[in-house]
Amino acid sequence: MKRIVLPFTALVVVLLIMAPLRLNGYAINLLYVTVLSIALAYGWNIISGYAGYFSFGQIAFFGVGAYATGLLVADLRWYWMPAALAGGVLACALAIPLGYVMLRLRGPFFAMGMFGMAQMVRVLVTAIPATGSGSGLFLPPGSGITEVYYWTLAICLGAIALTIWIDRSAFGLRLQALREDEQVAGTLGVDTTRAKISAFVLSALIPGLLGGGYALFLTYIEPDAVFSSRLDLQSIVMAILGGLGTVWGPLVGGLVMTQISEALWARFPQIYLMIFGGLLVVLLIALPRGIVPAIADRFAPRRGTLRQAQDKR
Amino acid sequence: MILLQLAINGVLLGGVLALSALGFNIVFGVMRVVNLAHGDFVVLAAVFAAFAFAQSGINPLLLLPLTILAGFAAGAVIHHLLLRRLPGEIASAEPSSLTLTFGLSYFLTGAGLATFGGRFVSVPFLTGAFQLGSLSIPQARLLAFAVAVALSLGFAFVLRSTAVGRAIRATSQNLDGALACGVDVDRVRTLAFAIGTAVATAAGTLMSFLYNLNAQQGVLFTVNAFAVVVIGGLGNYTGAVLGALILGLTESFASYFMGATLAEAAPYLLFILVLLVAPGGLRGRRAA
Repeated sequence: MKRIVLPFTALVVVLLIMAPLRLNGYAINLLYVTVLSIALAYGWNIISGYAGYFSFGQIAFFGVGAYATGLLVADLRWYWMPAALAGGVLACALAIPLGYVMLRLRGPFFAMGMFGMAQMVRVLVTAIPATGSGSGLFLPPGSGITEVYYWTLAICLGAIALTIWIDRSAFGLRLQALREDEQVAGTLGVDTTRAKISAFVLSALIPGLLGGGYALFLTYIEPDAVFSSRLDLQSIVMAILGGLGTVWGPLVGGLVMTQISEALWARFPQIYLMIFGGLLVVLLIALPRGIVPAIADRFAPRRGTLRQAQDKR
Repeated sequence: MILLQLAINGVLLGGVLALSALGFNIVFGVMRVVNLAHGDFVVLAAVFAAFAFAQSGINPLLLLPLTILAGFAAGAVIHHLLLRRLPGEIASAEPSSLTLTFGLSYFLTGAGLATFGGRFVSVPFLTGAFQLGSLSIPQARLLAFAVAVALSLGFAFVLRSTAVGRAIRATSQNLDGALACGVDVDRVRTLAFAIGTAVATAAGTLMSFLYNLNAQQGVLFTVNAFAVVVIGGLGNYTGAVLGALILGLTESFASYFMGATLAEAAPYLLFILVLLVAPGGLRGRRAA
C-alpha cells in the first residue's frame, strides 16, 4: 500500500502547487475555496471529531484571524503573511481562556454555547471603532490570489499532517478516550482538562491562520462575511459526511461536497439549495457514519476499532 | 414611564420568543434532537401566509388550521422516513441528527426560495396598538403573547394529565423503561416531532404579522429558540416561557441603555452565563 500511496500523494501535492500556473481565474478561486473549506473541516475535526466536543463556533477564531490581519495590514501597513500569523496567535491566546470556561459544558450545551460565543465575539468585534464597526474594513490591494492560495494550501497540508500525528499519538488516544467516556478517561489517569483544552487550541489555531488569507481574498471584510455561519456549518457537514474523527474524512467529505455543490449550482441554479439539502439527507441515511468508515469497513472487515466495538455492544 | 414601556415591550417580545421557541422545545425535550430546521418551518409558514394574503386577501387566522395540519403531516412524514432511521437516536447533539436537520434546513430554505422567491414579505394585519395613557401595546404582539401562554399551558397540561402525556414523559425520561412498560416509543417520537413542527408552523403564521421575512431567515428563529430553551430549562414548557420573558426583557432594556449594536450581544451573554451557572436551565432538571 505504502509504495503506491506515497508517490501518489507527492504527485497530488505537486499538482496542487503547480495549479495556479495553469488555471484561469474562476478555477483558481474554486480551488482556493475548496482547499479553505477542507482545512476548516480539519481544524474542526480535532476538537469535535477526536475529542467529541461538538462546536458550532470555531468560525469565531476565523473571524478574529481575519480582522486581526485586516487591522494590521490596513492600519499598521504590515505585510499580510506575518499579520495572518499574528491572527493565528491571537486566536490561540483567546482559545485558552475560552476553552477553560466553555469546555465545562457538554453535548448540545457546548455546541450551542459555542454558537452563542461566536455571535458574541462577532458583535464585540463589530463594536470596536477601529474595525469600521458594522460597515467593514477595506484592505489595500496588492497581494494576489496566488499568494493566498499557497498560504491556505500550506495550512491545509499542515492540518492533515497534524491530524495524522494526532491519530497515531498518545495525545490522540487520550482525546478519543475522553470522547468515549470522560469520567472513565479521568479515572485512568488522563488529564482530561488539559487534553481537551489542547485540542480546542489546535482547533482555533487552524481557522485563526486561515482567516488572514480570507481577508486578503475578499479585500473588504465585514462581520457577516468572516463570521459566516454558513462557512462554519459547511465545514462541519464536510467532516461528518466524510467520517467524524478519521484522518481522511474531512478531505473526502470536502471533495465530495464541493463537487456535488459545483455540479448542481451550474445545472440547477434555481433549486440548487433544495437538491443540495435533499442529497445531504439521503447520503446521511445511506452512510450514517460517513464515507471513509464505510469504505474502510468494506476493505478491512476484520480489523475492529474502538468505535465499531461500541456500536456492536 | 419609559421604564414601564420598556418592561411592556420586553414582556411582549418574550411572548413572541416563547411562541416561536415552543415547537423546538417539544422536539428537544422529548427526542433530545436539536432541530436545526425548526426556524425554517416557522419562516415557511410565515411566508406562505403572506403569500396567500397578497394573492387572495384571506385572513391569515383562517389559514391557521390548514398550516397546523400541514405542519403536523410534514413532521410525521419527516420523522417516519428520515429521523427514525438514524442510529443511536438517544444521544444528545448526536452528529447525525444535527447533520440531518441541517440538510433539511437547506432543503426547506431552497424550497421556500424556489416557490415564493426571495422578497421580504409580511401581512399587514393587527398593526394597531392599544393606548393606555402614554403606554402603547401593539395588538399583534399581544395576540402572540396570549397564544404562547395558552399553547404552553395546554401542552404542560397534556403532559401532566393525559395518557399520551405520560407516554411522552416516559419516553423522554428513560427510553428503555418506557419500552419495557409497553409504550410504543416510535409512535410517541413521531407524534412529538409532528406536534413540534405543527406548533412551529402555527407560530410562523402569527410571525408574519410581526416581521418582514423571506425563506432565508429561518436560522434567526432557530437560534432564538435555543437561547429560550436553554435559559428556561430543557423540556420544561412553563420554564421556557420564563426564559423567553427574561430574554425579552433583557433585549428591551439593553437596546435602550446600551445601544442597538452592543444589545445584540446581551442575549448571548445571558445565555452563556446561564449555561455556565446552571447547565440544566433555570427551572430544568440537572444535566446528566
